[in-house]
Amino acid sequence: MHVVNTTDLTKIYDNRYIALNALNLRVEKGQVFGLVGPNGAGKSTTFRLLLGLQKPTAGQLQVFGEEMGAERADLRRRIGYLPTNPTFPKHMTPIAFLQFVGSVLGMPKDRAKIQLTRLLQAVDLAGAASQPIKGFSTGMLTRLGIAAALMNDPELLILDEPTSGLDPAGRKQTIELIRELSGRDRTIIIATHILTDVERVCTDVGIISAGRLIYSGPMADMRRLARQGTIAVEIEGNTSAFEQELHTLDDFGSVRYERIGSEFRITFLGTQGLNEYLHRVLALIDRTGVELLHVDTGSDEIEEAFLRRLEDDRTRGFLRAAAWAAALDGNTENSERKEEADAGIPGHPSV
Amino acid sequence: MQAFLAILRYDLSQLTQSWVSRIWVPMLLVPAFFLLVVASTEDELASETLAAYLVAVLMPLSALAVAVLTAGAIAGEAQIIADGILSRSVTRAEFVSAKIVARLGFTLAVYLIVMIPFSYLIVRYAEADVSYAGLLIGLFTAALLLTFLGALGLTLSTVMTNVMVSVLVLLIVVLSSGLLLEFLGLSWMSVTAVLTHLAPTIRGETAAWDTFRVLFVFSGLTAVAILTTYSVFRQRDL
Repeated sequence: MHVVNTTDLTKIYDNRYIALNALNLRVEKGQVFGLVGPNGAGKSTTFRLLLGLQKPTAGQLQVFGEEMGAERADLRRRIGYLPTNPTFPKHMTPIAFLQFVGSVLGMPKDRAKIQLTRLLQAVDLAGAASQPIKGFSTGMLTRLGIAAALMNDPELLILDEPTSGLDPAGRKQTIELIRELSGRDRTIIIATHILTDVERVCTDVGIISAGRLIYSGPMADMRRLARQGTIAVEIEGNTSAFEQELHTLDDFGSVRYERIGSEFRITFLGTQGLNEYLHRVLALIDRTGVELLHVDTGSDEIEEAFLRRLEDDRTRGFLRAAAWAAALDGNTENSERKEEADAGIPGHPSV
Repeated sequence: MQAFLAILRYDLSQLTQSWVSRIWVPMLLVPAFFLLVVASTEDELASETLAAYLVAVLMPLSALAVAVLTAGAIAGEAQIIADGILSRSVTRAEFVSAKIVARLGFTLAVYLIVMIPFSYLIVRYAEADVSYAGLLIGLFTAALLLTFLGALGLTLSTVMTNVMVSVLVLLIVVLSSGLLLEFLGLSWMSVTAVLTHLAPTIRGETAAWDTFRVLFVFSGLTAVAILTTYSVFRQRDL
């Protein structure tokens, strides 16, 4: 079942700014879905639409299989939301605020108290439970926001930039907390522009750029796509001989390389597996007698893949628009293809 | 209903702790005490004293306080409203209803807390020239004007995002409406005209029709402002 399902979701502010451009997002039950994109890509707008805080300009939006809107308090009861840089009434204490959240959610007082105690301990705020919120650090505010989002033990947890503004220790703690929260039939959607966070906790990833989802799929596929064809080797010895012999690898298709000091970053544009390419590079190292210091088939791979997707999306915008228009012209038979085109799945010219 | 009550309680606690309330109530009580002493020693007319207090002290001070309390009700808390309250299981109608009840209820509570004992003491110690029906109508009219002002402030707070601007717009609208109504030949509908007729109303000298049309018009305007608040807030992107 799709917990979140949007079809051509579009949001245009004041007929001037396109925040979301025909977004087709599907998130299934139990997924930890990372929505990755640069600032201003439309991540927060997507969340505000998912929560019914804003109205779509066009397109459909379903949460738990039902249309979401401003008056759908029943659907929001099943969602927990952590906004970016959460704001709280400054004079309140965490206990008072979580009690207020509990009463807004219609929880019995006793249950709310048990839940808030458990949550304050879980987010490591038990020691600050009676202090006014106005003295809290960014990390403490984020943790309180997570606790507030979990008061109703939600089926869907939406976290907007949960590690934004946190120091490394705070980031690690928050990531660990999210990891603990995943599973148990809970679906989590995390918006972030920090790719390592996504890599650590997400099972699935979607890349959003200029209001469009340009890639959507399992994290493992993203890694595979990222690793495909790029091998970085650091060598010592007769590096000139190695460089001269690199063209012999062309049997497998076009090869490009970039040299940075003793490091060679070799990219294969063919369609064979990484194992085959790696085997050939190691054979070349052996043949030319250089000493291998370091080999890497995936350093910064997700970031590379992410940037490559963004670049593809920008440079092939017209091809994409044409494919999208063609898909729109088609009937329901073609709807699958349109979905593929929108999600940037291999097979589409933008990929 | 639980969400409505939770937000109502929260908002009332905010109001009672706000600096506006802390200044507003003492500023109403000090002149009231002074007028009471003067009226009782100088044998002033109760109707004139009550009307003077309403026109010169209570209404201007309360107008300012109500403008700040209502015009900032939604605009001033936009971030907390969207992220902390409306992202949870609360409908917009519940939220707006709680805000209206809290802000207008608080305004009327302050008004009654000041005016009931003050009216009683003035009638008792000044020269009693009031009609009890007139006194009730006079007090009700002033309460209705404050309610109207509050409702208009709430409407503006759903339309505008800047609290200061909405307070200023509210005050300018109320003050300039007198000129426009006079130009339209409807000066009896202006707030100033209603206030200047309070003394005869308290004495029971105002014609029933004049009283009725004032109450009818301001009740209608208040209802329109409240309905507009619901309608605008329901459509608004947060």
